[in-house]
Amino acid sequence: MRAAIKTFFNFIHRQQDRDTGNREKFLAKSENFRLLLAANNKALETMAEMQEASRSGRVLGIAHVRAQSLKVAAGVRQMIERLCRMAPGKYEELRQVFNDIVQTMDKTLNAHAERPVGPLVLDLDDIHAGSLPETGSKMALLGEVRAKLGVRVPEGFSITASAFHLFMERTRLFDEINRLIQIHGCGTLEELQALEESIRNAIDMAPLPPELEKAMTDACEKMDDPKLAVRSSALCEDTEMASYAGQFLSMLGVKPRRLADAYRAVLASLYSATAMTYTLNRGLREDEMVMAVGCMEMVRAVAGGVIYTRFPMGDNNRRIVINAVRGLPCAVVDGSTQADSFVIDRKTLDVVDKEIAEKSVRYVLGRDGRIGKEKLYGEASVTPAISDEDAVRLAKIAARIEEHFRHPQDIEWAMKRNGQIYILQCRPLAVCKLPASPPPDDDADRLFALLSGCIPASPGAASGYVVKVETDSDMLRFPDGAVLLARTAKPQLSALLPRASALITEYGSAAGHLANVSREFGIPALIGAPGAMERLSGVSIVTVNGTTGTIYLGHREQQIVNAAARNEPRRATDVSQALEGVMQYVSPLSLTDPESPDFRPEMCRSLHDITRFCHEKGVAEMFAMGDRPSGSARRLKTDRHMQYWLVDIGGGTSGSDEDKAIGLEDVRSNPMQALWKGMTAIPWDGPPPACAKGFMSVLTTAAQTPGLAPGAANSMGERNYFIVGRNYCNLQSRFGFHFCTIEGFAGDDPGENYALFQFQGGGADMARRNIRTRMVADILERRGFIVEVREDSLFARLERVSRPAVEQAMAILGYLLMHTRQIDMAMADPEAERRYREKFDTDIAAILADIATEPDTARYLS
Amino acid sequence: MTKIRLLLVDDEQDFLTAYSRRFIRRNAEVTIASSGQEALERIAETEFDVVILDVMMPDMNGIETLRRIKAVAPDLPVIILTGHADHKTLIDGMDCGAFDFLLKPVGTDELFFKVMDAVKSRSLTRPRRGDE
Repeated sequence: MRAAIKTFFNFIHRQQDRDTGNREKFLAKSENFRLLLAANNKALETMAEMQEASRSGRVLGIAHVRAQSLKVAAGVRQMIERLCRMAPGKYEELRQVFNDIVQTMDKTLNAHAERPVGPLVLDLDDIHAGSLPETGSKMALLGEVRAKLGVRVPEGFSITASAFHLFMERTRLFDEINRLIQIHGCGTLEELQALEESIRNAIDMAPLPPELEKAMTDACEKMDDPKLAVRSSALCEDTEMASYAGQFLSMLGVKPRRLADAYRAVLASLYSATAMTYTLNRGLREDEMVMAVGCMEMVRAVAGGVIYTRFPMGDNNRRIVINAVRGLPCAVVDGSTQADSFVIDRKTLDVVDKEIAEKSVRYVLGRDGRIGKEKLYGEASVTPAISDEDAVRLAKIAARIEEHFRHPQDIEWAMKRNGQIYILQCRPLAVCKLPASPPPDDDADRLFALLSGCIPASPGAASGYVVKVETDSDMLRFPDGAVLLARTAKPQLSALLPRASALITEYGSAAGHLANVSREFGIPALIGAPGAMERLSGVSIVTVNGTTGTIYLGHREQQIVNAAARNEPRRATDVSQALEGVMQYVSPLSLTDPESPDFRPEMCRSLHDITRFCHEKGVAEMFAMGDRPSGSARRLKTDRHMQYWLVDIGGGTSGSDEDKAIGLEDVRSNPMQALWKGMTAIPWDGPPPACAKGFMSVLTTAAQTPGLAPGAANSMGERNYFIVGRNYCNLQSRFGFHFCTIEGFAGDDPGENYALFQFQGGGADMARRNIRTRMVADILERRGFIVEVREDSLFARLERVSRPAVEQAMAILGYLLMHTRQIDMAMADPEAERRYREKFDTDIAAILADIATEPDTARYLS
Repeated sequence: MTKIRLLLVDDEQDFLTAYSRRFIRRNAEVTIASSGQEALERIAETEFDVVILDVMMPDMNGIETLRRIKAVAPDLPVIILTGHADHKTLIDGMDCGAFDFLLKPVGTDELFFKVMDAVKSRSLTRPRRGDE
């Protein structure tokens, strides 16, 4: 659109036949008016994008919201500057009105998280549930179970939220990270990976404040040369709203002299591509993420794993599920091996079920602090990692922890050679609500089952192309909407989950991080589908049922329909709430009636009001007496009820400039003639037949928008201005509730030619206005326009086409301008919509056929 | 048409290198400055048609630089181009007389059109040079 409007200036600049003094002034004013209109278009377009994001709830990050809000504000300020230049001294107070609104927007968008000011390091002895704002949930809960339940937890300390703020503020990393997020963007996995690297470099380069470094050294000295597990304990992590399972870094076997580097690395994982994907898709604010870090002595474990105090797929409250591997527990959570599974009845403490898996690897802590991966063969791989008695001891501890927190728990544990059990982590467990009775597999679909009996990890059903992901480059190539198929349930795959329709992995467990994140994102997942890589090789589309554990060949609609009924509604997120907060200063339009005494700068309540004011006054100033070389605007002599005014910026009319009115025969502007033809070729049928529902909708909208009350309609309506040149025409038009701009340049050089159409508003409710807008969009798209629709706004353009093609486009736009008036009222009726579509297509074809009969004209837009 | 004389001010060398190359390809005459102070020195030596100015710079930030530019060359158009999305900077920049306020990243075409707008706007309020 920007490219298109530029020719307006070039055009008026070429006019050499006017008297110089007035001409210079007029050119300057015209140029400012052009810039005002361009800024208006840009601001309205961004505003429409924001409205659409607000409506759909699809918002990617607070940085994006802030950037969009600034873009609208910059456009609106540009309109003010241009208007002030068109009429110096008349509208200066708009700047203050603007500044006040924008300052309020800024306050609304700013992070609200409180900055704690406390100790930089807290010993685990001093940590309890109330320490959460300083230590994050992970360390706070560990401190709590140790202090209140006497459960064994490794020695350690927390590097607090206060330390995080000190580090980030002292080094100005907050500003730098916000800048990097804005510059890199967060739209694709590639952008996020580039962002991750930039932020990691920035954090690596930043020196730790000396007082923080000293506090960390002192804490390590108390522990007698420990090997540490350095774990994320972010303030947003492990909450019921967001688990962030497996999203952040843990570093194992860290020696005290490497602690500062490990601390930086864990901090940087806050902004890893996978964590940012999670943050953005959960609608959390990236500028409010705070990373506290837990440092705990490593446990030399002979076995470890994860306990779920309820079955995560939620159908039996009596079961406690224990997953166990040999060696360190990290093999369970990162999905690198299968795990033994024990199911304990919480009442009787009987082992009611167990499955001993073939465990291919174990992780061990070396004397030097390094973590080693050992392959397991033969007997060692199939021996249970723990005894039934150990499982029962674990279940008892888990039940106590659940009872204490009164919520199902996801607990990570480790066991030493001497049988002592240590709790390494506990967090609230999200339990999926399954339907009361899972639907049986559809009989017809059963024939198409490729794999069944897979382990359900996240309920629901979806279909898509199967795409295997084995390497990093597979991740970058992963298409939207595909079914993600992988060998193991690596947590890194969660970066793809927002784009995947379903997830299948051969290995891993419903207890792992990836399963957790799939459930949070509501993506059907089967984790534990042995043989899937081979079985699905060469298969294109499958349907995955994450509730029943079945994979079907092809798209199985019934599976999806049955599952869809169970989807939980979308929750308002932090980012969507921030967007809504700022939108109240952006989009409501209260300044609608230019004749009202309230149509003043100080009555502008939103940026939209300011655009409305500037646009109205810009048009008025452009058409004001005196500054034009050719006198004032002239009224177009027509037999129409409506009044049209015309200003010629050079070569658009013949006859005397002194005339107060001008006939159509004196209009030389070819795009205006074409536009007028479209506007008048076929008489308007008048408003749609009275429809009580439609009329009520108009009244309701009018009542919500005081300036649009029926009594104000006269002063609102029928303001139509043409600005014309020899090959140029711009129409600013308002019919009642419906605002629009049509502009075209139709000269001999196709490179300069364009037609554009901007259209917004209506009297009916948004749903009906949107239907009308989409109908107009369809018609224009079929005629070769590039069209964008956002709610009831439409932006259409056609560029770089021949002169006759622009003329035909102008005729189509003229026709639509006149004939789509008020039909939004009838848009609740699909039959009426269909009739209008047919009529418009027929009429447009007739108009184009008529134009095509003119000499030297062929049909271009049929 | 004479070449547009453009001053690019940014403390990021990568940005200066990439954008000067792109503007030179569009037939502009590009001078670069990596600080506010350096920008003021260039402006004292040479006449420019338009300035593209970063905000977050060490020593003298973009808004202060803009203030000082406007003190010596009130009608020289300055386009703020910042990676720091901040409403206060927008208000301060525009109150100090910036021609426009853009956010990084920005497409070269969009930025170039903005430069053209600034040059045209200025040419209409003061005597032209060359054969424009």
